[in-house]
Amino acid sequence: MAVSLLASVVLIVLQAVVLVALAPLLSGTIRRTKARLQSRRGASIWQPYRDLRKWWSKETVQSATASPIQGVAPAVVLAVTLCALFLVPTVAAAAPLPGWGDLIAVVGLLAAARFMVALAALDSGSAFGGMGSSRDVSIAALIEPALVLALIVAAVSVGSTDLGAIAASGAASGLGLLTPAHAVAAVAFAIVVVAESGHHPVDNPDTHLELTMVHEGMLLEASGRRLALYMVAAHLRQALMLALFLAVFVPWGIAAEIAPVPLALGVVFFVAKLLLAGQGLALADALVPKLRILRLPEFLGVAAALALVALAARVWLPA
Amino acid sequence: MPAVEIADPAFGAGLESWLWAGGLVILAVASITGVVESHGGRAPRLSVALSALACAAILALGVLLLAGGSPLSAQAGSVISFAPVDVHYDALAGVFVIMLGIVGFAASVAAWDGVHHAPFNAITGAAYPVFLGSMLLVFGAANAFAFLLAWELMALSSAALVVGAKPVHEQVAAGYLYLAVTHLATAALVVAFAVLATASGGSLAFADWSAGAATLPPFGRDGVFALLVLGFGTKAGVFPFHVWLPRAHPAAPSHVSAVMSGVMIKTGIFGLIRVGLGVLGPGPDAWGLLLLALGAVSAVLGILYALMEHDLKRLLALSSIDNIGIVLLGLGSALLLAGHGLATAAGLALAAALLHGLNHGVFKALLFLGAGAVQAAAGTRNLNRLGGLARTMPLTALLFGVGAAAIAGLPPLNGFASEWLTFHALIGTGASADLPPVVRSGALVAVGALALTVALAVACFVKATGATFLALPRSADADAAHEAEPAERAAMAFLAVLCVALGVAAAPVAARLTEIAGRFLGSLPVANAADPLAAVTGGPLAAGTVAPAALGAAALLGALVGMVAMRRGRRRELVRATPTWTCGVLPEPAMEYTATSYSKLLRLFFRRVLLPAREVHVEYHPGTSIPSTMHYTGGVTHVLEQHVFGPLHALSVRGSSTVRRLQNGSVQVYLAYALIGLVILLAVGR
Repeated sequence: MAVSLLASVVLIVLQAVVLVALAPLLSGTIRRTKARLQSRRGASIWQPYRDLRKWWSKETVQSATASPIQGVAPAVVLAVTLCALFLVPTVAAAAPLPGWGDLIAVVGLLAAARFMVALAALDSGSAFGGMGSSRDVSIAALIEPALVLALIVAAVSVGSTDLGAIAASGAASGLGLLTPAHAVAAVAFAIVVVAESGHHPVDNPDTHLELTMVHEGMLLEASGRRLALYMVAAHLRQALMLALFLAVFVPWGIAAEIAPVPLALGVVFFVAKLLLAGQGLALADALVPKLRILRLPEFLGVAAALALVALAARVWLPA
Repeated sequence: MPAVEIADPAFGAGLESWLWAGGLVILAVASITGVVESHGGRAPRLSVALSALACAAILALGVLLLAGGSPLSAQAGSVISFAPVDVHYDALAGVFVIMLGIVGFAASVAAWDGVHHAPFNAITGAAYPVFLGSMLLVFGAANAFAFLLAWELMALSSAALVVGAKPVHEQVAAGYLYLAVTHLATAALVVAFAVLATASGGSLAFADWSAGAATLPPFGRDGVFALLVLGFGTKAGVFPFHVWLPRAHPAAPSHVSAVMSGVMIKTGIFGLIRVGLGVLGPGPDAWGLLLLALGAVSAVLGILYALMEHDLKRLLALSSIDNIGIVLLGLGSALLLAGHGLATAAGLALAAALLHGLNHGVFKALLFLGAGAVQAAAGTRNLNRLGGLARTMPLTALLFGVGAAAIAGLPPLNGFASEWLTFHALIGTGASADLPPVVRSGALVAVGALALTVALAVACFVKATGATFLALPRSADADAAHEAEPAERAAMAFLAVLCVALGVAAAPVAARLTEIAGRFLGSLPVANAADPLAAVTGGPLAAGTVAPAALGAAALLGALVGMVAMRRGRRRELVRATPTWTCGVLPEPAMEYTATSYSKLLRLFFRRVLLPAREVHVEYHPGTSIPSTMHYTGGVTHVLEQHVFGPLHALSVRGSSTVRRLQNGSVQVYLAYALIGLVILLAVGR
């Protein structure tokens, strides 16, 4: 879809509202559902915003041996995650920054964010930081093949790695999109979303138990405004992974053109799909026990194997 | 260095020829200066300065060749009447000449200060400029004789540099292994060249070989291709012919390691393109699939073994195997696509391989120079004894960090651009409906391998950077480190700027490379070549775009806004420094994650490949269960080395010593041999 400058501005504003501003709310609803499933009342769905405000007004305590990377990393991580976020089409079948990057670029930007967090976590010399960092990059190595392979199932069918083109083609083909390859790849990518956004059985976003934490371990030494920025980036990454899933595998309802009515419908569909998909993550948290970390290669290997099966189906079966 | 004798009348016209001849002459002078100057073990500063000057000329030559200047031909002195040393540089050679110019220049500049870290003698002082010059000749050789002459000169001079001026056992062993392996590889090349020359009516010129190769039967072509892959793959450090590389590269002084890893292993890639692809043509699918398989295995195992390493320079050397694997993935897809007539896509795939080769030269040289600075400053390159160097050497830390981010393939740096293109080459191969399903599946599996490699590279270089520069120093030497010397810093800054520049300005560079690759593959210049990162729409390649410059600018702007917001805002950010919380005791370096503990999880995840072994030895205070001392040894098993190459090596040594009994030094025995020989000759020749 050719996107004019005005359309791009409209899409950026919409994306900022439906994805950036709603990302903490998404986390809030996930936690709330999880609490309910565990027979707890749970915190308000607005709690993530309150936490962010709290951290923003607190002082920063940093390690006496810290290097300048401590102060730089949170801003870089957030900026890079935002860049990736604006490459994903949400309400319309065009990314707000059309032509700035395809799905490989999104993967690359997420890797850049991970690189910075993991490096900064080593800075304070705390064993927890090293542990979280080591775990995060190791698990990411298992996630990334499945992530890329599941996404290129769609890219191979459409003949493009451009996420806007993939979403447009998927939405246009209606229920015809539901081929065996597509369904299998969707399952593979769902596993990837669970793992990449740090939910059971891979990680637990709410834990601070040293033996089990992955992402939280890396942030243990961060505080104040730096923690706030890291947490915004974490909310955004979760929203981004879900948005990627929706754009590639459940694109129905996405606006095919930049006009008021399709866009309004697109917003409604997207927010509904996003919150609903978020409940899936809550279900995973509540119903699936966390796996031993040494069992993760099997779990994530299933995702990579499913993605390969989907690709084989795409290549060998008649279209 | 052969005497330069200008015979070709076309030679001597353009600026290119002056740069070429000037570069070689300056290197020859530098080589002589190296002998004279380093006689007393002093640093041959004039020699490395001349080498830097020559490399600047070589860089200019490469840029001219790449930018579309006329190709350069010359006949540099006929050593033997039937085999003139012909050189011919075209734009494709220009890519490699640029790589040599950039890396050689930076390494020579760093050596200005770095030479006092590594003792020099007359041999190593002379060998370094010869090493640089021989690579220049390899990239231009137009016939088999010139090629093998330069190739051998390169092997011998680099072996001298590996062994070094004051060799210890480890260096001699590394040099011996390197020489043995590289000569086995050269033997494979000589056989392949002999077959091709025979098929071409005895001509040694590469230009005559294409017609001759076409007359070979299919199995003959397969055989020649296999020999070329064996010969060039060994030089490139492709798995499983890589055994020499992780030993030889770290043994050399760091500026030499930078040139070896940055440029020398690319001569293998150059040979595969020039002779493999250029003479034999794309060939059957099996060739491309073989390269894809070798590339995928090299990439994944190279980075896995690098991750398990705690010697910084060995880690970097092993990661070169990974990057050569990525280059092979691009080359393999180029072969597959060209074999099915998809010239446009094949050009893009070949450009991906060329660009990644160039980029790897830049960031790997940067990282090796950084490792050299660290080794000089902290007295060790063992990651488990480093740490905290960001405080004492902040600029080195920053520049090394740029190199680490580039090699990890992070946007907007150069590693990302070429890996992006490689992803597209593979996805394009997988998405082409014109290709057989086996080929498409192979390419798509390779996508998974590349994704795994890139993610493991992030882990590897977070570990390398973090363990070296962050947290508390793990040894007194690391604590007492100092910033790198000015020339080293300048050389690293030059390379770091190139990492950024080749990343954000990847589109024009890739466009030019695609054009060159397309012309090399005998096709028209690529459509939409102005911006090949905006890949060919509607063509067989999966379309997609990336704008690294825009993404980089946006990320930078966002990060700056974020930092200003953190510092300022309605209330200023309050920052208080306290010791790291370690559950109530004071933090100590022993509490930190080391390089070895950092990679433990991956060691266990991939235990079936890495076969980790560890041994813990505990001694207790007498009569108690309180440990007094603990010894821990651990490591991974390099299966191929220990179970295949080790026994082979032992066998060859045993065989040699058996044969040596024939040479017992007694004159009577030699006379007896002569008599027996004479009798046999008379009997046979009767």
